[in-house]
Amino acid sequence: MNLDKLLETGDRCIFLEPPTCTANCPVHLEIIEFISEIEKGDFQKAYKLMEKKLPFHKIIGRICDHPCESVCVRNEAGGAISISELEKSVLEYGAAKPKKVWPVPKKKGKIAVVGSGLSGLTAAVDLDKKGYEIVLYEKTDRLGGRLWNHIGDSLKEKTLSEELKQVEDKGISIQFNRLIDENSLSDLLSEYDAVYLGASDWTAPLEIDKITFQVGELNLFAGGAMVTQNDSVIFSASSGRRAALSIERFLSKVSLTDSRDREGIFETPLKQDVSETDVLPKVEKQASVYSQEEAIQEAKRCIKCQCRKCMDGCNHLRKYDISPYAYIRQINHSERIILGTHYANKMINSCTECGLCQEECFLDISMKDVIQETRESMVERNKMPVSAHDFALKDMAFSNSSRFSLVRKQPSKEASKDLFYYPLISFSDYVKGLYHGTGKTEYLFYPGCQLPASYPDDIKGIYEYLVGHMKGDVGIYLGCCGAPADWAGRQDLMGENVAAIKKVWEEMERPTFILACSSCIRVFEKYLPEIKVRSLWDIYLEKGLPNKNWIKSPQTLSVHDACGTRENSELQESIRKIAESLGYTIEEMKYSKEKTKCCGYGGLVYYANREQADGFVAERIQESPHDILVYCTMCKDLFVSGGKRTYHLLDLIYPKDNEDGAVKKMPTLSERHQNRSLVKRSLLKEIWREDVDEPVPDDYQLVIPETVRQNMEDRYILLEDVQAVIKNAQEIRKRFYNPDSGDYLASLKIEHVTFWVQYAQEDDKFLIKSVYSHRMEIVEE
Amino acid sequence: MYQEKEDYQSWICDKCQKELELSKVKVRYLEGEFEVELLNCPTCHQVFVNESLALGKMLEVEQGLEDK
Repeated sequence: MNLDKLLETGDRCIFLEPPTCTANCPVHLEIIEFISEIEKGDFQKAYKLMEKKLPFHKIIGRICDHPCESVCVRNEAGGAISISELEKSVLEYGAAKPKKVWPVPKKKGKIAVVGSGLSGLTAAVDLDKKGYEIVLYEKTDRLGGRLWNHIGDSLKEKTLSEELKQVEDKGISIQFNRLIDENSLSDLLSEYDAVYLGASDWTAPLEIDKITFQVGELNLFAGGAMVTQNDSVIFSASSGRRAALSIERFLSKVSLTDSRDREGIFETPLKQDVSETDVLPKVEKQASVYSQEEAIQEAKRCIKCQCRKCMDGCNHLRKYDISPYAYIRQINHSERIILGTHYANKMINSCTECGLCQEECFLDISMKDVIQETRESMVERNKMPVSAHDFALKDMAFSNSSRFSLVRKQPSKEASKDLFYYPLISFSDYVKGLYHGTGKTEYLFYPGCQLPASYPDDIKGIYEYLVGHMKGDVGIYLGCCGAPADWAGRQDLMGENVAAIKKVWEEMERPTFILACSSCIRVFEKYLPEIKVRSLWDIYLEKGLPNKNWIKSPQTLSVHDACGTRENSELQESIRKIAESLGYTIEEMKYSKEKTKCCGYGGLVYYANREQADGFVAERIQESPHDILVYCTMCKDLFVSGGKRTYHLLDLIYPKDNEDGAVKKMPTLSERHQNRSLVKRSLLKEIWREDVDEPVPDDYQLVIPETVRQNMEDRYILLEDVQAVIKNAQEIRKRFYNPDSGDYLASLKIEHVTFWVQYAQEDDKFLIKSVYSHRMEIVEE
Repeated sequence: MYQEKEDYQSWICDKCQKELELSKVKVRYLEGEFEVELLNCPTCHQVFVNESLALGKMLEVEQGLEDK
């Protein structure tokens, strides 16, 4: 995994970027934090933030020309936040005595500051704090320069005098009535280690560096109006502070120019979307300063700009309260650990890889791709927790085993006369044409693994429909596309699976695949682009629906699009048109079509972190007051288990008598296996007229209470596992016995998992009391 | 990993009809291999793991090793 590239991706995330107000504040007051404290009513903490960032905050806080306000994004929704008024209120209600600062020994060098306006004072105080000896040259007999022009309603003479007196109290040496001209300046330059020039009326031309404010190569630095070219108070203070930093670097003999691109005002990459923000008018002050309550109300208007679009849409990012920026840093850390715990593993396996974050990100950051690459890397480095995807991969192996997998060409006309050849078929459920097979397999129906598991009774009907509607022969191919291997980062298994599918495709002379599952569609697009595919749902729309007379009472539905079809707008439209043609009204959810969410199954999150999967389900099902319509069986399964009335499109196309499709509970993990096998057997028997081995009957008759059954689901334990444990225990008596209760407890290791079953035997029935498993191997000697 | 007395006091080995005893047992998972005191049959040495051990401490150790 290319970690440099990974970190570059993370650095593009603007989650931590400052808002426009702070970026346009020349001294970078943390305005969101400042306003948040006011909102909480904590004027003291807000005051501390002012004290930290604003030089002479008691002066500037009253006369600042607030460049922050004109760029406030609230301008488009009721008017900018009155940041300057809030500062005044904080000085009024939150002021505290300055902290006692111990004087630093002045050993680092001697600096002359010319001019005691705001820039000079700022430079002097900043450098004094750093341990330089400062001599301040002022041409008049008082400090402050043009600050005195600001005396008025806000800044009182008394306040200004008190603040200026503090400069003298610091012990900075001040030379009043000393006018510095060009001649005396060169004396200062040789007498002092560095000189700061903040004389606003300086007329001699100087070549001032725009970033460092250094004059030529000299030990002279300039600031104030000479640099800012305006009357702004806050720019003046900022220039003094930046020049002071240059002087410190100059005297410490370090680079003057390194990492200074965000000094003064800069452009923040953060973009705030206010299109959905409520318009709120400014709070007008009723006196000269906001009351505390007015200030709090005004603070509440602040949007607290931050880009959270991906997090707003994603239950996973919010559950872990993590931005792509921080997420990628954690992945980077996890990838670099050699010895130690990979704390990020569970998080990495809790992403559904649905792709919504990328859809929401105007910088196109795709956590789906990052997570996929990370999982593949974890597998390669042998760092993927085995238990996370074990069950899903076993399920995939099952589907590709002889218990489900099947490839057949369409039966010949003679062999299937009574099936597909209807001279009169106007009332028929599914066949509207004559047999029109050609002997060449033009199409291969590939229903995937979950559709036959959830809708075993409908597969035959769908196949017959396809045979009756498609020009050319339609074969069938049962198996798993490999989506679980893809999600688990198992490129080895994925490669084998893709090769197997491709082999069938070649042998069948490259037919078009008819896909019903959105995960299959995604996998075929990603791994098998050479195979032409069609969606079953598009075919229904094109060829017409079977069972048109079945329509029950029409209602309003919300379509939950499968995340695998995010970019497939044609398919999304087909679904809606099918539902509408059946008489249903569609009401879209906020997150739909290309912005759909994942149900919680994607990325195998359902297996790796059930709690996370439940989070996705709970969030999604409350986003519509209507019944939901889905076209992926796992979406249906999860939403119904979450308690939401949900139809699969098949429930509408092939409705069953006396059954409310929207609440139909989906099969258990064991039943899914059984259903797949059943589909294979019944297709072989009923379409291909082949002799089929009946399934071996269970060895033992099990009685399983509902709570135990639920535990089996939650613990990924199959009926066949329980049967195997009991068989082993009964046959070799390797088990424990509890004389008090009469229960037995037995275990059996199957592949990497040891299963335990506690049971009681009553005649030929086995009452199952509890089931559990562990992966740790007990070495019995 | 250890087992509370009340969790197992009634169980016996069905095959040997012996009461269970605590003794050192070797367990391994991934690259970790260690000895822990677990109940087992003093004769045939089949090891007893109850639900709270399997889903508690054992799972915790498994997950810890998986994240190493």
